[in-house]
Amino acid sequence: MVTEVTRTSLAIRNPHIVLREEFDDWGLLFDPEEGIAYGINPVGIYIWKHLDGAHTPEAIQNLVTKEFEHVPAESLDDVIEFIQTVVDKGYAGFELKHDR
Amino acid sequence: MRSPRSIDIDITTRCNLRCSYCYHFNSPGDVEDDLPTAEWLTFFEELGNLAVMEVSLAGGEPFLRKDLVDLLQGIAENKMRFSIISNGTLITDTLAEEVASTRRCNTVQVSIDGASPIVHDSCRGSGSFHRAIAGIRCLQDHDIPVSVRVTIHHKNVRDLENIAALLLDTLDISSVSTNAADYFGLCQQNAADVNLTIEDRMIAMNTLLNLSNQYPGRISANAGPLAEARMFQEIEAALARNQPRIEGRGFLTGCNCTWQTIAVRADGVIIPCTLLPHLEIGKINQASLSDIWQNHPVLQRMRTRSSIPLSSFSYCKGCRYIPYCTGNCPAGAYAVFDEECHPSPEGCYRQFLAAGGSMRL
Repeated sequence: MVTEVTRTSLAIRNPHIVLREEFDDWGLLFDPEEGIAYGINPVGIYIWKHLDGAHTPEAIQNLVTKEFEHVPAESLDDVIEFIQTVVDKGYAGFELKHDR
Repeated sequence: MRSPRSIDIDITTRCNLRCSYCYHFNSPGDVEDDLPTAEWLTFFEELGNLAVMEVSLAGGEPFLRKDLVDLLQGIAENKMRFSIISNGTLITDTLAEEVASTRRCNTVQVSIDGASPIVHDSCRGSGSFHRAIAGIRCLQDHDIPVSVRVTIHHKNVRDLENIAALLLDTLDISSVSTNAADYFGLCQQNAADVNLTIEDRMIAMNTLLNLSNQYPGRISANAGPLAEARMFQEIEAALARNQPRIEGRGFLTGCNCTWQTIAVRADGVIIPCTLLPHLEIGKINQASLSDIWQNHPVLQRMRTRSSIPLSSFSYCKGCRYIPYCTGNCPAGAYAVFDEECHPSPEGCYRQFLAAGGSMRL
């Protein structure tokens, strides 16, 4: 299923994925099931930590702007692209809504 | 790094074999009792919380532990992967199935030292060859990645081509690593029988260089004749180009392990490396691994080895190869000089030449 991340999506981290933070503030997203790890930069780590099902990309981008210096104006696209990447890899998803 | 990426655990000191060059059975790492399951499971929780990625289980023989599958489940439940270093002789179809069922196994490394029982069993004991091969087959039947370690010694150095054919052609093992019987543990008692002579080393270097051309990318070495041959060739090539030095050489840069990994003995004592079992730096579930990793003076000292110039050691005095040398493995240095922050004679090019060795292979 293809899921497109929009500026209002509420993505949530896959709890099976491990964030490994390193001394230089970079990190790894490690999938122990597949044995694959991807390097992410400090902004990626910050975004990852806010994929809690409560923050939209817009909200995260606002926080990124406050947390980091020299954030470009078009950074919302970058935030959405990052989240889309982790969603496509199955590292994050969306809570299912059940009709009653 | 805030925590180790991987951890090497000697999960037991018990073994069903007594290989004549084993680094145990004459070492401070030989402890009386193995820790109970619960202690290890508690420790695995700490490792998972520190985002450690891989646990490597060695021994002794890990498959001797009746609770091995419970331990593997504990590793998996804490979002880590594992590898097992084994002599292969106790691996059954049932055990292989249970290992596979965890879906977290990076590899099971089995030791094979000969292409026939006569050669393999000469250092490992009667019957071990057939049982190790059967173990490999069980692992392969369950699609578990198998790697093989070949330890090169005086009795198998003339069998390397046959070993490569058995492992890489017949058994279709994807990767084989090599090292040599070294001056640790039982090998210290049996050195005359198993250690490589200078002639053996040259035969091994020549054969392994040829085999690694024949099987590209499938034969590796961090130590032993193949690693030495590659390093010595690199030195000669640099000299031939009148290159004054090789980047990162001329200091004790032969080991970066303490930046990546840490080890634990079978009694739960934390040590920098399984080959340095005398350097006790804490005990699991009693001290914080994170604190040890980041602050322990022994690890800090090991990590600053790379700033110690080889020219400061009398051992290296007058050596023309200093700008091309790493000083090699700290455990090798400790075995000879009782000091890990020292160059090791293992892999010393000057000593190799002085003993009659030649890189004109």
